Amino acid sequence: MSHLGKRWPRGYTSEHMSDRRATVIHVDLDAFFVSMELLRRPELRGKPVVVAGGLGSRGVVNTCSYEARAFGVRSAMPVGRARQLCPQAAFLESDYHYYSGASKAFHAILRDYTPLVEPAGADEAYLDVAGSELLFGDAPAIAATIRQRVRDEIGITASAGVSVNKLVSKVASDAGKPDGLVAVAAGEEAAFFAPRPIRELPMVGPKTAAALAGLGIRTIGDLAAAPVPALESRFGRQGRELHERALGVYDAPVLSGHGPNKSISRETTFEADEPSRDVLRAVLRGQAERVASDLASQERAGRTVTLKLRFPPFETLSRSHSPGQPVALADDVFAEAVALFERAWAENGCRPVRLIGLGVTNLQERGRQLRLGEGIESDRLAEAMAAVRERFGDDAVRRAAEIPARRHDSF
Amino acid sequence: MNVTCLQENLARGLGIVGRAVAVRSTLPITSNVLIATDHGRIKLAATNLDIALSCWIGGQIEEEGAITVPARLLGDFVNSLPPEKITLTLAPRAKQIKLTCARNEATIGGMDADDFPPIPAVEGDTLEIDAKGLREAITQVVFSAATDDSRPVLTGIDLVVEGDRVTFAAADGFRLAVRHLQLRKKVAERQEVIVPARALSELNRLLQDQEDPVKMTFNANRTQVLFALKDVELVAQLIQGTFPDYSRLVPKEWGSRAVVEVRDFLQETKIASIFARDGSGIVRVTFQAGEDGAPGRMTIAARAEEIGDNQGELDAQVEGEPAKIAFNGRYLQDVLQVLDGGRVALETTGPSQPGVIRPLENDNYVHVVMPMFVQW
Repeated sequence: MSHLGKRWPRGYTSEHMSDRRATVIHVDLDAFFVSMELLRRPELRGKPVVVAGGLGSRGVVNTCSYEARAFGVRSAMPVGRARQLCPQAAFLESDYHYYSGASKAFHAILRDYTPLVEPAGADEAYLDVAGSELLFGDAPAIAATIRQRVRDEIGITASAGVSVNKLVSKVASDAGKPDGLVAVAAGEEAAFFAPRPIRELPMVGPKTAAALAGLGIRTIGDLAAAPVPALESRFGRQGRELHERALGVYDAPVLSGHGPNKSISRETTFEADEPSRDVLRAVLRGQAERVASDLASQERAGRTVTLKLRFPPFETLSRSHSPGQPVALADDVFAEAVALFERAWAENGCRPVRLIGLGVTNLQERGRQLRLGEGIESDRLAEAMAAVRERFGDDAVRRAAEIPARRHDSF
Repeated sequence: MNVTCLQENLARGLGIVGRAVAVRSTLPITSNVLIATDHGRIKLAATNLDIALSCWIGGQIEEEGAITVPARLLGDFVNSLPPEKITLTLAPRAKQIKLTCARNEATIGGMDADDFPPIPAVEGDTLEIDAKGLREAITQVVFSAATDDSRPVLTGIDLVVEGDRVTFAAADGFRLAVRHLQLRKKVAERQEVIVPARALSELNRLLQDQEDPVKMTFNANRTQVLFALKDVELVAQLIQGTFPDYSRLVPKEWGSRAVVEVRDFLQETKIASIFARDGSGIVRVTFQAGEDGAPGRMTIAARAEEIGDNQGELDAQVEGEPAKIAFNGRYLQDVLQVLDGGRVALETTGPSQPGVIRPLENDNYVHVVMPMFVQW
């Protein structure tokens, strides 16, 4: 039930700078949202598919299939524009609820190989496997195993890059897409980078690319060969950094997500502003469950519970309370949050809510003061639910109370 | 009114009754202290409506009378005067009292004594309790009373008088302290009341100078209690309700038992608590018997997340299984501090079962403290 990295000390950082071995892996799920949709709509395979945050005029493209990319459709493009470019594409609305289970499962697979996993989003993460090679083989072998498990266990494909640091591994995994693995041996970073277009370097956006083009720089190799003073005179302090990046030099270590984070929270944005107290309370109940599970798996408790509410368009408020005893169990988190919610909501005229969220801060070592005559059944239940959620995702177990009560019409 | 007394007596009396003066009250007169002539002595009294304190001091009464004046002002003034005679005079129906002492003369505006909330006369069966024993009993239970009002009965001390003993008990939901005290005389009928912990704390303070037995009286309908000391009386409103039956919360058996010196246990707990200050307060206690006749040992450890940790060790006589149990360090300190040295036994049946603390030399006290559920 506990996966391999679980009992390792938290808050590790990688030390790849000292040994310069290629132990950093970047794993990225290919066209994640689209891949998930294709799992349940296999008839769309091989066709252009666009998944967007909304299909109306305000909608923006989240992900598109490689077939749609061939028509020029890109992420973050307005849906209207995508329809012009590729009218024959299937346009689907994002179903975050559905994707989040797969995302959790993906991160759980990664943590089987090292506790040093730095999530970079729902569908990508960095790992440093420097300490795991004796157990699981070298980094390219681990990357291959991870890709295979993602395919077997989730049913979608992932690309991976392996190198001495996060920067090069990121570029390598992009180079391998879709469904590829690119390993860059230590010392080969600059050579790997040299022929690649300058836009593939993560810190280079369209404006920087245009400015570099003005200096005759089109590939990463051109940038690496450019004199530093010239870059500094054009880009200031950033010039030297650009030059170092072009050589594949990057210091930032992989930071484990299990490090000493300051808070644990969940929030939910409603597509239509939510007026129902029952629904809002049910959502809060679900958030309390997930926050409590995170607390349990990190073996921590929190002294302060914070509720966040947003009313349309962007009126956001937050309310906090620190009960005498630290909170760890879902029931306690929920009780605090719902009390804050009821007061804050009433103070604001019980208006429809755009966003609701709850968080726990002032984290400390987990230890729940038992009451006289009380047992630990609830703690055991919390541990079991946390273990299931960590392994199979937030929605693997749910409380009935997360489903809002259905109103019966009365006569 | 025209009375004369010694500055030090008046200052001491005002200090005593001052503890019952209301701090923030909607009834302004409760921030005043009552000064009245009473059977040849001067009576001082204050009340915050939950507790009333009265104190009698000696003096020369030239003319009877009574008034109430702001307690804080009068106290500050009297405390600053030299240790000489003070004369208080009040013209009939006047609202201002005049004080003269050495070369000082002051007038303080007051309010009519008739408007002062009457301090109930508590009459009923009276019990005599040894002052030293009472002080010890209060000290050993009062810290276990609840400080939040969510369950009012738990903010009080449960007093059960039965046969020839009185039992004091307090429980805040996480810990329970029970102390028996022998009475000189048997009582005919069992009585149970809940006295606010705050009232007993005040009483405890007064008991420091008391040697004679304390007289305790409940009124007939069990709404008030009177503690009569030498020259001082405390009347408190009793808490209405039923105190939970705590007898089943004291485990009858144990699986592991360690006997240690109270002083060492307390010292190691204090050290560990320094490291438990990240807020969790978690102090981990383990103990096991020694092998081949070697003494057993107890370890007391704590850690502060991302900062450091500490482990202390002490000799222990251990019976039963090796044990591990985590406590809130403050709760451990609270109980160890009120045990007057000697040796103490810690008994438990498991990491999530109550810890029971009993002084070895004295079987009239037991403390039950619930552990913290932690990952080991």
